[in-house]
Amino acid sequence: MTDLAHLKPDHMVSIRTLFGIDSDLMVPAFRERDDHVPDRDDAYRFNSDVTLAILAGFTRNRRVMVQGLHGTGKSTHIEQVAARLNWPCVRVNLDGHISRLDLVGKDTIVLRDEKQITEFQEGIVPWALQRPLALIFDEYDAGRPDVMFVIQRILERDGKFTLLDQNRVIHPHPYFRLFATSNTVGLGNLNGMYHGTQALNHAQIDRWNIVASLNYLPAAEEVAIVQARVPALANEAGQKLAASMVAVAELTRKGFAAGDLSCLMSPRTVITWAENCEIFPDTALAFRLSFLNKCDEAERSLVAEYFQRCFGQELTESHQNALQDIV
Amino acid sequence: MSIPQGKTRQQQKGDDLCAAIMRALSGEADIHYRGQRLYQGLRQLQVHAPHLQTDPAHDDFSSFRGTADSIALRLLHTDPVLHRQLCPADPVERLVFELLEQLRVETMAPDTMPGMTQNLRHRFAAWSHAFHQSGLTESSSGILLYTVFQICWSRLIGQPVLERTEGLIESTRAAIAPILGKDLLGIRRNCRDQSVYAQHARAIAAMVGEMIRSDGDAQDDNQKTNAKEDVKSAFRLLLQFDSDETDTMTVAATGQSKVLEDAEHGYAIFSTQYDRQADAGSLVRKALLREYRERIDQRIVELGINIPRLARALMKLLALPQRDGWSFGEEEGYLDGRRLTQLITSPAERRLFRLEQYKPDADCLISFLVDCSGSMKTHAESITILIDVLVRALEQAGVGSEVLGFTTGAWNGGRAQRDWMRTGSPANPGRLNELFHMVFKNAQQTWRRARPDITALLKADLYREGIDGEAVEWACKRLQLRNEKRRILVVISDGCPMDSATNLANDEFYLANHLKQVVARQELRGEVEICGLGVGLDLSTYYSRSLATDLPHSLNNGLLLEIAQLIGARRR
Repeated sequence: MTDLAHLKPDHMVSIRTLFGIDSDLMVPAFRERDDHVPDRDDAYRFNSDVTLAILAGFTRNRRVMVQGLHGTGKSTHIEQVAARLNWPCVRVNLDGHISRLDLVGKDTIVLRDEKQITEFQEGIVPWALQRPLALIFDEYDAGRPDVMFVIQRILERDGKFTLLDQNRVIHPHPYFRLFATSNTVGLGNLNGMYHGTQALNHAQIDRWNIVASLNYLPAAEEVAIVQARVPALANEAGQKLAASMVAVAELTRKGFAAGDLSCLMSPRTVITWAENCEIFPDTALAFRLSFLNKCDEAERSLVAEYFQRCFGQELTESHQNALQDIV
Repeated sequence: MSIPQGKTRQQQKGDDLCAAIMRALSGEADIHYRGQRLYQGLRQLQVHAPHLQTDPAHDDFSSFRGTADSIALRLLHTDPVLHRQLCPADPVERLVFELLEQLRVETMAPDTMPGMTQNLRHRFAAWSHAFHQSGLTESSSGILLYTVFQICWSRLIGQPVLERTEGLIESTRAAIAPILGKDLLGIRRNCRDQSVYAQHARAIAAMVGEMIRSDGDAQDDNQKTNAKEDVKSAFRLLLQFDSDETDTMTVAATGQSKVLEDAEHGYAIFSTQYDRQADAGSLVRKALLREYRERIDQRIVELGINIPRLARALMKLLALPQRDGWSFGEEEGYLDGRRLTQLITSPAERRLFRLEQYKPDADCLISFLVDCSGSMKTHAESITILIDVLVRALEQAGVGSEVLGFTTGAWNGGRAQRDWMRTGSPANPGRLNELFHMVFKNAQQTWRRARPDITALLKADLYREGIDGEAVEWACKRLQLRNEKRRILVVISDGCPMDSATNLANDEFYLANHLKQVVARQELRGEVEICGLGVGLDLSTYYSRSLATDLPHSLNNGLLLEIAQLIGARRR
């Protein structure tokens, strides 16, 4: 870990070969794989716009925020780009209880020469700032706005970081990069789906150079992702099944947008459902266990309608069955 | 639960589901049913294709599903402007053209939704069957239309015609197939292109129209009128299946009000001089109120209503987690400065921290507005129980509530009407009665304090006539003065606004249309959510969120939970 500071991107790679994106852009990459480099997932499918935004962050030292609904793979997207560039990467999950001390550092008691002394221990921000690292703040909008001002300075390019307790000014490493992911665009919990998110200070949002939005993908791409994740579906019958699954998910998303449902199926849910199909032979049962049971009881009959459209099969909650019971 | 009640509720549920699936399929968020008619926003959606005219009395739920899917596809794939331009004027041709366009969009059902394809086919087959059963195929024009529809359908979906009627249409089919051959191929090939498809569809429609006309001409005059009758009766079935059966609940009646539409300043009021507002408790003797209270308490006990459960349901629907103070004595979190001394005095004690607390908090006020018109007298007891239980449950859930009532000060216009007569009865005077608004419980009062006053609802003399529009406006105004974030008005009524003097002096639907205007205006402003609770009546004509109940028969936990759903649902 000590020699991490001396790592440098030592060659340029073409994004055409690395990510399959039609562009002549070359990006810096590391030859050596450090422990901090995330594991590479060959099944991962890149969204070209978001990939370009993230790559701009890596090559041109821009601060990139990726916004999107849950389960769209925002954090994974950044990690997978880093994995292909061999760029070391650290993820920090922000929550309401991350305090300034956690980020900046604090005095701790350590044993030295059998004596207890207090020593300043750097927090994650100064530590990462001095290394060629990509620091990812996950759930950026869950962090408390007052605490988030700690990173105000380093959001500027070449922004120096002052450790007040130490009277020390830290210069960022030239290959330090900063990313963030969030569910909202910093306007707080508007649709009632993301409790605990905060309205962010606009001066802070303004400092992010690039805000990429990763929303749900076109159906064909999503089907391909599901198939890549669940190899058992990589045949013609599987293709059909996956397409119908994605169609259900799309109906739930549109139903959510229209205010009919209070939860929706993320790509992650679809993948879980596909995986559960391997465990439970019955698609309907797998659906119930992966999504339906998460829904409000009053909304299940509507989800049953969605399911009927895409699979031509009735669930127990279906209105059709309720009618038959009466007759 | 009585049968008609159950049927209406099921029907309403089915309609809701169908509207929701249309919203999801088409992505248009403002589609909904009002009084069993389909609306997009405030505009009624016209559905012309004959096979999409459903009838709750005869059609099964799969048919409704098919219809909903078909309408959603139409919204997605038809350019309405182009369609209107190309649509022929002759009624027969237009009928054929509409059907063909609908069949075109039905071919565009996505491959990923086999269930939808099933529903669409089921609906077409069910409609064909009904068409055949009704005896329409016995006339020459009927069998011609039927055959054309069957051939086109079978061509478009690439499936054989319905087996049941295959023999029946055999000879007609053989006769017209060569004439239509080229255009049949045309529609089959151009499903994706509305304008090219429409050329061929028009050609088919024109040929069918021509054949029906010449069919009529070939016969002598007497038969000619017969043939015309045939066509007419065919259209009656094609365009609308009239339902004579009345075993579902009635839908609130509605119509045009010419007086209100033509009025320069909208809704008019002849005189506000005699309008009154009073606390209902002061209108009834204390001793009588006590007696009423005992009666109601007794009834509530007999009914065995689970109030805590209702309170939990309301809580779940209305409350959101809010940051609310701190919880102290935690083992982790923020250091609590006041406990630092404790760290010194008892170092083993770890509970020095405090955490932020999130508590469900319902920042919400619900106002019940009861229609105290004469006909509601019979429901007074069940309404009182319902409101008493809901107010109590809401209070347990920490939600404020208000109980209001509206009636008039007199029958047949009272003093306002006499004044009007005195001035020489000018035309269209507007509202012509003494308003009487009652407050049974205001928002500041607790249930315990308002207990006796709520039972004033049982006092039959208070029930006179009802002017809903102004009452809804009044209740909304009261709600708007409150600070609560969410304000919901529940209107409980068993009929349309009814005031005989006003209706006589203006026209029949004057008050009804004013009510519609008021509700639409308030819904647009969005400060107050309005929902309608119909007593033996479907109020969806007036309120986009409504529930039909059959109160005296079905006052039980299930109904109360459904009402809670109605109140709490966040829609549109």
